[in-house]
Amino acid sequence: MSTVTHHGPGDTTTVAPARSAQPRPVAEFLSTYVFSKDHKVIGLQFLFSTLVWFLIGGLLALAVRWQVAWPWSDVPVLGKLFAQEGGQMSPEFYTMLFTMHATVMIFLVIIPILAGAFGNFLIPLMIGADDMAFPTLNMLSYWFMWPAFFAFGASFFVEGGAASSGWTSYPPLTTNLGASPGSGMGQTLWLIGLTFVGVSSMLGSVNYMTTIIVMRAPGMTMFRLPMTIWAMFITALLQAFALPVLTAAGFMQLFDRTIGTGFFSPEGSIINNQMTGAGGGQPLLWQHLFWFYSHPAVYIMILPAMGMVSDIMTCFARKPLFGYRPMVYSVAGIAGLGFIVWGHHMFISGMNPALGMTFMVSTMMIALPSAVKTFNWLGTLWGGRIQFTTAMLFAISFVSMFIIGGLSGIFMAATPVDIFIHDTYFIVAHFHYVLFAGTAMGVWAAIYFWFPKMFGRTMNEFWGKVHFFLTFIFLNGTFFTMHILGAVGFPRRLADAYHYETFHHLQPMNAFMTYCAIGMVACQAIFAINFFWSMFYGPKAGRNPWNANGLEWTAPSPPGHGNFDIQPIVYRGPYEYSVPGCEKDHLMQTDPPLEHAVAAAH
Amino acid sequence: MRNRLAGLFWSLVFLAVPVLGVAVFAVAPSIDVWLPKDVSAHGKDIDSLFYFILALTGIVFIATEMLLFWFVWKYDEAARGDQKATYIQGSHTLEVIWTIIPAVLLLFLAIYQMNAWADMKMRRPVMKPTVEVVARQFEWRLRYPGPDGDLGTPDDLFLVNDLHVPVDEDILVQLKSMDVLHSFFLPNLRVKQDAVPGMKIPVWFKASEVGQYDLVCAELCGWGHYKMKGRITIESREDFDAWLEAKYREQEATQAEPLQEDL
Amino acid sequence: MNRHSFFVCESLQRVMQNASPALACTLLLCGLLMSATGCGKTPAASFRPNMVEAAKQRLTPDQEAQVATILEAMFGTPDDPVALPETGLDVSKLRLAAGPVHSDIVGRKNGLFREHCSHCHGVTGDGMGPTAAFLNPYPRDYRPGWFKFKSTERADKPTHADLVTILNNGINGTSMPSFALLGEAKVDALVEYVKYLSMRGEAELSLMRYYFELDDEDEGKLPETREFLVEEILLPVAERWQEAEDAIIDVPEMPEVDLQESIALGKELFYGNKANCVKCHGVTGLGDGQANDYDDWNKVVKQWSDEVLSAHDASTSEMSREEKAEHRAWLARSDKALAGDALDPRTIQPRNLRQAIYRGGRRPLDLYYRIHAGINGAPMPAAAGTLTPDEIWHIVNYVRSLPYEYDGELGADRSMVARDRL
Repeated sequence: MSTVTHHGPGDTTTVAPARSAQPRPVAEFLSTYVFSKDHKVIGLQFLFSTLVWFLIGGLLALAVRWQVAWPWSDVPVLGKLFAQEGGQMSPEFYTMLFTMHATVMIFLVIIPILAGAFGNFLIPLMIGADDMAFPTLNMLSYWFMWPAFFAFGASFFVEGGAASSGWTSYPPLTTNLGASPGSGMGQTLWLIGLTFVGVSSMLGSVNYMTTIIVMRAPGMTMFRLPMTIWAMFITALLQAFALPVLTAAGFMQLFDRTIGTGFFSPEGSIINNQMTGAGGGQPLLWQHLFWFYSHPAVYIMILPAMGMVSDIMTCFARKPLFGYRPMVYSVAGIAGLGFIVWGHHMFISGMNPALGMTFMVSTMMIALPSAVKTFNWLGTLWGGRIQFTTAMLFAISFVSMFIIGGLSGIFMAATPVDIFIHDTYFIVAHFHYVLFAGTAMGVWAAIYFWFPKMFGRTMNEFWGKVHFFLTFIFLNGTFFTMHILGAVGFPRRLADAYHYETFHHLQPMNAFMTYCAIGMVACQAIFAINFFWSMFYGPKAGRNPWNANGLEWTAPSPPGHGNFDIQPIVYRGPYEYSVPGCEKDHLMQTDPPLEHAVAAAH
Repeated sequence: MRNRLAGLFWSLVFLAVPVLGVAVFAVAPSIDVWLPKDVSAHGKDIDSLFYFILALTGIVFIATEMLLFWFVWKYDEAARGDQKATYIQGSHTLEVIWTIIPAVLLLFLAIYQMNAWADMKMRRPVMKPTVEVVARQFEWRLRYPGPDGDLGTPDDLFLVNDLHVPVDEDILVQLKSMDVLHSFFLPNLRVKQDAVPGMKIPVWFKASEVGQYDLVCAELCGWGHYKMKGRITIESREDFDAWLEAKYREQEATQAEPLQEDL
Repeated sequence: MNRHSFFVCESLQRVMQNASPALACTLLLCGLLMSATGCGKTPAASFRPNMVEAAKQRLTPDQEAQVATILEAMFGTPDDPVALPETGLDVSKLRLAAGPVHSDIVGRKNGLFREHCSHCHGVTGDGMGPTAAFLNPYPRDYRPGWFKFKSTERADKPTHADLVTILNNGINGTSMPSFALLGEAKVDALVEYVKYLSMRGEAELSLMRYYFELDDEDEGKLPETREFLVEEILLPVAERWQEAEDAIIDVPEMPEVDLQESIALGKELFYGNKANCVKCHGVTGLGDGQANDYDDWNKVVKQWSDEVLSAHDASTSEMSREEKAEHRAWLARSDKALAGDALDPRTIQPRNLRQAIYRGGRRPLDLYYRIHAGINGAPMPAAAGTLTPDEIWHIVNYVRSLPYEYDGELGADRSMVARDRL
């Protein structure tokens, strides 16, 4: 085992085991690249898997956009795949598309790419540990994703197609097998897939918490942790507390469907012209349980990106993070408040309106820590010395876009306004600004930033900027217009809204958005090519190509097994850039203390 | 020496966000991509709150995005020459200021809207239901109580999708669902309420203008969700009564001939 | 100026430097994508042949092709419908309903059927659109030409107005929604198109069945003369549609008796031997009587699949080698038709009369038509021969009172009454 010291395709020094030991090459290959317990390999496994799903999710989104822009017209390329009469999409196919777009993007892309890929790759490196606390659990957390991949993937091919009741899976549409074609086998597979994603996340979060608490390098106090690690830590906490509820709810729904328990089915309904069986349940119960997880999950989907953006921004502004402690407290505040705001998804669901009022107040309050974070990012830029690297551009755009996503949230937090904009494109605009323009931009920033650490080579900066520019333009073209569409009341999830007089005139605008969406997906080809090309042919990066401060930059690129060649000892926080009196403009966490700088830093 | 143009270019890209953002919202009403005409008594509360929040968030949006642009413009490495970045780790005063001010604003917003919310969802007019709406995949089944004013009696009038209500009167809709979740959405009346199987949910509003508007289903209810289209006709009390009368006669028809005369 | 040109040069230089692999790959990918889009053009929609009937009639591939050719000549394609004057159909209305859905900036001009109907009823009107298999009851198959809810006698076609009523009101208790809000013109066009599809389907059936009646000298080919096609095939179908307009059932006035008395009389008839409604609708009126019957659409599939099944089991020992091969080919083709061109047969449930859901309309008049003429295609028989008009009216009144009947005969089954949930 110890012969293998380096990893990564770009690394030519990887020692190939001698041929004489016959069974070993396969075994070594499997234990190094497939069933590896090395956190970096697992992180990259997560990264590649999620990027593949990102592509699938993006194509699903394009198909959705096609139908919204030109309903019932023949779909190019994709139309051939589902060749129903002509190339026209059937309405249940459309509902399946948007359901699976959201499912794939949330459960197979955003959550695993943040926690799984970057959490895994960065946590031990940034805290100065040689690996995770539980390497085997870590490996399992990746391999538990595969049953989920299979379940979600296979569900497209079962009778009735994949789940088609929205990613929120509201019963009784989901619990009654006759309610919708996708409520058959597809929904069962959906629930199974969801359970495995949950198991994977749970294994991950237990590991992250333990690792961050017990495996920090000497001198790495909690308040010397980079924001990325703080965010990952709190995300792990959120996941550990919220996930059991979703898992339980998922099983309840599964039982409702398979053994007729009726947790969520009221008595006496007539669905698909048949009397339903068991009763005594409440559809709203699912919504409470689901959002009790899924609202914190919204923060699971953004906090790690916020953390990474903070680190990237300080590095390229060459400036300490503005208000490190308030940033930490606001992450904690978001996490705490995140548990008591789930009802804002249910203002008009039939929930007691008085309860709606309390949720409205807590929802207004959760805007506060987000605002504090935004101001601190601006404060970080102020007086900086900004280097326009691709990673920095993505990081700045994260802040710019998060402002939009955050402010539009206030509209729907206001209950009377929510009556009108609930379930319209205003909501769609809001969460795409947070999750796509926010998190996905943060993820790109992180990929461009830590790519040298992952593969030992840097990505092409020029094409990176082209990628950024096109993505930024197209994403705003696609999603910003959704706000005003929502102001008309244009509802979500409609296969064809133009037969309503109120929305009849919105088709050209939707066509424009679809053109932008096509452009947005197409320009990801630049990213894909840049990514794979740079992996093999990019210029070699040294240990610290960005002159950054974090511990990960003291390790070789890519780090070998065990990460660090010498045990790092931490002397200061991660954001000591442009320290007065210091010759370099950055002072790494491991740099021995300067006589006169020590005083200034504390 | 780095080139300044790159920094200028990127800062202009970020400047485009507030400029085009505001432009889109400014142009939207003139191209009719804006709040649909409001014909309800309570709608102005929602609309004015919408505008109030729009103004508030608009100011914050412009201010923060401009600040972002300004910092990106000004603190470009190329523009800073040999100067190092300012070494500053934060400011307690600033943190307090930008915590307190938004907190006060948000709290004000929260309290400010409570009354409107209570009017729309909590202070139900004391009356018998004007009409019962039963949502079903994929249509709105309507039942008017008939002359006795009670639902569930043989003089009930059954209709589909074609909702009529009198103008300038309190309307109480008893909302139910026969199968799955639906949402009773009247864009022009600023009414939206999910229909939940197993629950009778009261919905009330007062229409202020005569006309015909869309009734939309706003909660995913299956493959035919998009076609769950209804129509609300707001008319004078006399027209409404006459319509009710005619529809009831039609429902009770025993002969084909007179039916056609009615139509 | 100097600076600016420097910037341009520098960027150009950078582009060239970086261009080699990345740019090439991008171009390649774009090219691939575009060619895929071009090749991705889906073929125009076409009518699906009635495979079940073709297998049943043991048509040869040549004969199937002939039927298809004749039908295309007589009726055109889904994108380009043809209506001979003998059909009495209005081609301009058909054009509004036919064809692919066009959504342009101005609004939609045509393709109504594919916008609103085909995902259930299928482009062919065979009741087998992509959504069909999940619906209960199955969407209507227009091809046999049977329609349930109408104002004419059981065996007659519905009138144009009957179909308009169905589209306007929808069919409560099924997945058929109301299309009233489309407006008169569009509903009218759709009804015309349904009639067109139905005529086409019936013409197809009679063409396929005609091979059986051919003489040896015809060599297994139908004569393709206009005279034959119009006189023998088209007119018998088209005329029945035209006759329907004059064949509306004559409904006498409701007898002048007290409503409660009429209800009591109706109840007696309902449970009595003469009308014997209880046989199917059950003593409770909940539709829990006989429940193992099929409607005619499902019966066709059921009977034939039974036949195929028994043919599978039948002994082939006495057949010659060629016969065996032919038999096996026929079985394979029948299985294929059953799997791909028919939905699994389902039994029909008698109506639960206490739910206040009336599929064919809730007017007393509608119920009178239902009882008088029965329901074409369903086990519900015509009562016209056995009951007097007054007796039918009494049953109508009783049936209309059932959802509101409060007395406790139902016992534990009270939960089945959807009155309070309606």
